[in-house]
Amino acid sequence: MTKRFFPALLALLLIAHLHAQAVLRVAAAADLQPVLPPILAQFQQQTGIHTDATYQASAMLTTQIVNGAPFDLFLSADLGYPQRLIAAGLADSPAPVTYARGTLVLWERNDSGLPPPSLDLLRNPALKRLAIANPDRAPYGRAAVAVLKSLNLYDALQPRFATAENIAQAAQFVDSGNADAGLISLTAALTPRLQSSGAYFVIPRNLYPPIEQGAVVFAASPQREAARKLLDFLLSPPVQAELAKGGLTPVTEK
Amino acid sequence: MDWQAFALTLRLATVTTAILLAIAVPLAALIVLGRSRWLAVVEALATLPLVLPPTVLGFFLLVLLGPRTAFGRGIAVLLGHPLAFSFDGLVVGSVIYSLPFAVQPLVAGFASVEPALVDAARLLGAGSARLVLSLLVPLARRSLIAAAVLSFLHTVGEFGVVLMLGGDIPGSTRTLSILLYNQVENFDYAAAGRTSAILIVFSVVALAIIYSKREKRVSPAGGSRA
Repeated sequence: MTKRFFPALLALLLIAHLHAQAVLRVAAAADLQPVLPPILAQFQQQTGIHTDATYQASAMLTTQIVNGAPFDLFLSADLGYPQRLIAAGLADSPAPVTYARGTLVLWERNDSGLPPPSLDLLRNPALKRLAIANPDRAPYGRAAVAVLKSLNLYDALQPRFATAENIAQAAQFVDSGNADAGLISLTAALTPRLQSSGAYFVIPRNLYPPIEQGAVVFAASPQREAARKLLDFLLSPPVQAELAKGGLTPVTEK
Repeated sequence: MDWQAFALTLRLATVTTAILLAIAVPLAALIVLGRSRWLAVVEALATLPLVLPPTVLGFFLLVLLGPRTAFGRGIAVLLGHPLAFSFDGLVVGSVIYSLPFAVQPLVAGFASVEPALVDAARLLGAGSARLVLSLLVPLARRSLIAAAVLSFLHTVGEFGVVLMLGGDIPGSTRTLSILLYNQVENFDYAAAGRTSAILIVFSVVALAIIYSKREKRVSPAGGSRA
């Protein structure tokens, strides 16, 4: 029994190991979760390269990568975190590749009892709680603060913030009815769940610095070729169009 | 060091522990002394918060306490404000989250009291309240201390529920664990190290004081009890 068991186990482990080698590990920003999975499936169909994506806040992924998390490609929600990894000598390029731009929206439930979302809603005293993502680290949170500062509303609204860990949680604050409105990503607002329960207003782009989403391939990755292939795939016009449908702005667009 | 967060955390843990003991002592006594088969279900429910990931528990509470349920609307009317993103909301979340840490030691402690003593007290006419307060609680003092310490510390270290239910508002929901998490996530490792050091030193000193006051077990051969 044991005589046969151990070689069998060894063979299984070997297969698992070989299989693990063949998978391209992608660390992806949380705002990509609604958009990326079908694109990765398409990529696998076209190239035969298997991918395995982890969706997390970009800051969390950066900490994990600095501490040795074995990813091949990082799709961040901003440029700062990839630049940090480049500075740490972990990336195989001197600058991150911008693969999309994020769009900030003001979202509220249809049954909020407040007027529909617009910039005026931010000035409405009946807006008691505004959900935002943590501006210290979430790119959309930073953009939210920039918008309120350009509208001279930051000081008035700051005591009314409900600060969430990331964009998905900010959306949950509003969707559960606990916050009146939230500054979230268009990718989140376009998910079926939020589309059915609420409405969004696209914040004019001149009110915040662009949310450039950058990617890096890691120097230590045994699969740099495959990772670059995926990055090129993301930048190809049909995939950029698909990203646009999901709420991201293609890099080619101004 | 953010002393506001420190004070807030102590206040939250103290209030939570007081409420938890008030709930857990009768609940544990009921579980140990009661005869109903349903008490097994009650005990199971009181242990349930251990099973759910804290952020998920926090999410359920966010929905339950929010204005989209009759329960949440009722509480908002009673208190005059919604529970989410407030200190009171954190108290509710913490009481539910730490319930097993108060109930389990007390159930174990009450169950280890000699049944003959319980029967004797009943025969002598002690009512349920007297039975619990004058017999079970004094004899299970160690379990009561354990329940209080565990509830308190578990609330100090609570993170997922506060993250979901709190909204990171300084002075009302930014607890030490949220502050620490923010410091780590913002790569401010030096500040996180200082905050953690203060928290750890405080906890060790407080625990050592509590444990040093606890009477030692004395073996029957060792003579009289302290």
